[in-house]
Amino acid sequence: MSPDAPEPIAVFRARAARWMERHLPRWDDELMPTRALQNLLYDHGFAGIAFPTQYGGAGLTLEHQQAFVEETAVQDRQLPMENRVSIGMLGPTILDRGSEDTKERFLPSLLRGDSVWMQLLSEPQGGSDMAGSMTRLSRDGATFVLNGSKMWSSGALEADYGLCLCRSNWDVPKHRGLSMIAVPLKDTPGMSIQPTRSASGLVSDYCEEFFDDVVLPAGNLIGGENEGWAVAQTLLMHERNTVGNIGYGRLIGQRERGPKRMFGGEPAVSSAVAAHERGRLDAVGMMIVDAYIQSVVVPLTSARVMAGLRAGTHKGQWGSLTKLQSTVAAQASVRTALAAHGADGVIWEGDEVRVDNVGTTWLESRGGTIAGGTNEMQRNIISERLLGLPKEPAPDRDLPFSEVLRNTRRR
Amino acid sequence: MQIELNEEQEFFRAATRRFLEAETPLSVVRDLYESRDGFDRTWWRKASELGWTSLLVPEQLGGGTLSGKPTCDAAIVAEEIGRLVAPGPFLPVNVVAASVAREGSDEQGSSVLPGLLSGEIVATWAICEPQRQWDVRDIRTSATPQGTDIVVDGAKAYVEALGSADLVLVSARTGDGLTQLLVPTGTPGVRTTPGRSIDITRRFGSITFDGARLPASAVVGEIGGAADQIAWQLDLAVALQCAELVGIADRTLEFTMQYGLERSAFGRPIVSYQALKHRIADMAVQLEGAKAVSDALAAAIDDGAASTSALASVAKAYVGTHALDIVDDCVQITGGIGVTWEHDIHLYNRRAAVDRAVFGTPEDHKNTLLTQVVATNKGPA
Ligand SMILES: Cc1cc2nc3c(=O)[nH]c(=O)nc-3n(C[C@H](O)[C@H](O)[C@H](O)COP(=O)(O)OP(=O)(O)OC[C@H]3O[C@@H](n4cnc5c(N)ncnc54)[C@H](O)[C@@H]3O)c2cc1C
Repeated sequence: MSPDAPEPIAVFRARAARWMERHLPRWDDELMPTRALQNLLYDHGFAGIAFPTQYGGAGLTLEHQQAFVEETAVQDRQLPMENRVSIGMLGPTILDRGSEDTKERFLPSLLRGDSVWMQLLSEPQGGSDMAGSMTRLSRDGATFVLNGSKMWSSGALEADYGLCLCRSNWDVPKHRGLSMIAVPLKDTPGMSIQPTRSASGLVSDYCEEFFDDVVLPAGNLIGGENEGWAVAQTLLMHERNTVGNIGYGRLIGQRERGPKRMFGGEPAVSSAVAAHERGRLDAVGMMIVDAYIQSVVVPLTSARVMAGLRAGTHKGQWGSLTKLQSTVAAQASVRTALAAHGADGVIWEGDEVRVDNVGTTWLESRGGTIAGGTNEMQRNIISERLLGLPKEPAPDRDLPFSEVLRNTRRR
Repeated sequence: MQIELNEEQEFFRAATRRFLEAETPLSVVRDLYESRDGFDRTWWRKASELGWTSLLVPEQLGGGTLSGKPTCDAAIVAEEIGRLVAPGPFLPVNVVAASVAREGSDEQGSSVLPGLLSGEIVATWAICEPQRQWDVRDIRTSATPQGTDIVVDGAKAYVEALGSADLVLVSARTGDGLTQLLVPTGTPGVRTTPGRSIDITRRFGSITFDGARLPASAVVGEIGGAADQIAWQLDLAVALQCAELVGIADRTLEFTMQYGLERSAFGRPIVSYQALKHRIADMAVQLEGAKAVSDALAAAIDDGAASTSALASVAKAYVGTHALDIVDDCVQITGGIGVTWEHDIHLYNRRAAVDRAVFGTPEDHKNTLLTQVVATNKGPA
């Protein structure tokens, strides 16, 4: 398909619909492993739909990608949800910021799901102030050497590559001395990975990494040396888009708008049933309705933002807005479930540890407003970048990083 | 604020905004406070000439849409009215015009629509009864056939623009069914009592029917068969009202941020403080959600989508709540001047509070959602 005349959306949609009828399992069929599912999409031209063909994509547009995921929702077909970070965040970042060489080397296997990518941004002493990174990257001829540690890194145990933000120059102000480099995560000499246990007790997938003289080829830099901040900004934008299900990150189809609809929280109807059975519908009812209202408004808002970004009425960091909205709504729906289920949501009979209760879901959901940039940071972005209000004063902005006040509280 | 407007719609929005800015700037709105009707009939004819009253009426009956999506077109005007808290019976006239166009007889079409569309005739809709809800189940006023006539008994309240209305579309009960009639305000047995609201220009009124006798030709649609049409009118009214609320909130946030950039405290613009910035960011989320759901409602009405009434309840619950909250929080950001007569923000707070209440409070709609949608697991598709 030539780039100036992309396949009409309706034609593409019909083609995708026919294809998935034959090839993609339904959600109530046996679950297909993520990698096999991603391979399948790739081999039939449905992975990286909006990525250029020379990097393994289908060479179409975000509208085609949206049509595809919507069609999977209509047909209730499986998608490789666990690859959302790799495909929705890391892939687009490499596409936007990588050199021709890194795009050709990394993107095809990323899109095929043969290599899975994640992000190494936050550190023990701080996540919000990401430009304060203390992980050290030193040049050594044609290679780099990495020292320091990262924290909260989701999926590091399973992934093949992490995109790591580190400090390559300590003598310039903090935003100007950062670089972004791809770190192989499997059997890398000098690196160790430890999982961090989450408060919910659910098998947590975030990790802490320690780098001790890890040697990396210079060709692994994404973006130029000391130009890592711009790459990090791009990555964060794609992260918010993925959480808010817009842009390249629109990877979940949205079909149901009824009370059964789930958007990362608890469906209103299951809370209503629980509250009713417990005779508590009157008191909890309004919480349930509010959760239900959000379950209608949140997807409508992301659809509107998507349409606005396409039409040009919306420009810039709108992912912050949908991220803020959807994470607050998702948490509220789980708090509602906690109210609706009462004691039965947090107490059970028997000796065994259980995680299949709303209490655990609630503990687990708590990270939503922290991960991906806390909601306070999103409010900063919305007010400053979308609405044009004055920026926060930052006393460290123009100081050489070596003179900046360091965080004495590491966790 | 619909995203994909066609050229004609863009032009219409711009013309509507220019017209309002020239004819009814906020200074004129303030002057209308003392007036009886809250708007000027000559001005209303001019507004009608712009097309304000004809959008929901098909071309063969003298109207015409800009985009083939009449409710979306009308929502453009409603939003602009909100942005300038403009006067005029836009909502009731359009509901009645749409109802007559959909369900009325040919004779009603030719006797009523031309005057409504030109702005000569003002009509309004009486559905809600004193202390009851905007809900078809709450209609008690009776319409009883007697010979060739229909006799109406009962009372209606919160009727917009009643004092200026020549005609009232009355929603009444006939046995188990519902009936709508077009009632001239001078009909014997009909008594209207004018009323005001906290809004600067929007007047309301109540009306009693004491054996009021009307010819069968006054019935719009079928006797006893109006339930679906009334539900449709309620959805339409909520859609136009939500669009107005979006305009109110959008404009209020706009001028409040401007004010906050110009006003300093402790050597910094007040909106550089995070305590205000973060609240404004939350308002931006709510406003975007309000725009999304009110546009979706207008589109659902035009598409004749199933479960539109549930979506209307979601829209009113969300937009009604957040629009007033936004305006009210903007008062806080504005500080002391925000609670004076001199500052314009109270004009917006007034309209938002009235809109919040009329056609069901967000709480009424939440009750409906709880009992009819969530607990029974039937949502908008
Ligand atoms: C489930 C989960 C998954 C995660 N996955 C990853 C991952 O894959 N990769 C990765 O790199 N990181 C990941 N993170 C880390 C996450 O990005 C950080 O936790 C987050 O950015 C906050 O950083 P922090 O925990 O150091 O808190 P801090 O930055 O110390 O913040 C503490 C508090 O101060 C507030 N605060 C800080 N600065 C400001 C300011 N300027 N204005 C107002 N308030 C402020 C914050 O909002 C917060 O409330 C994950 C976190 C969670 C919970």
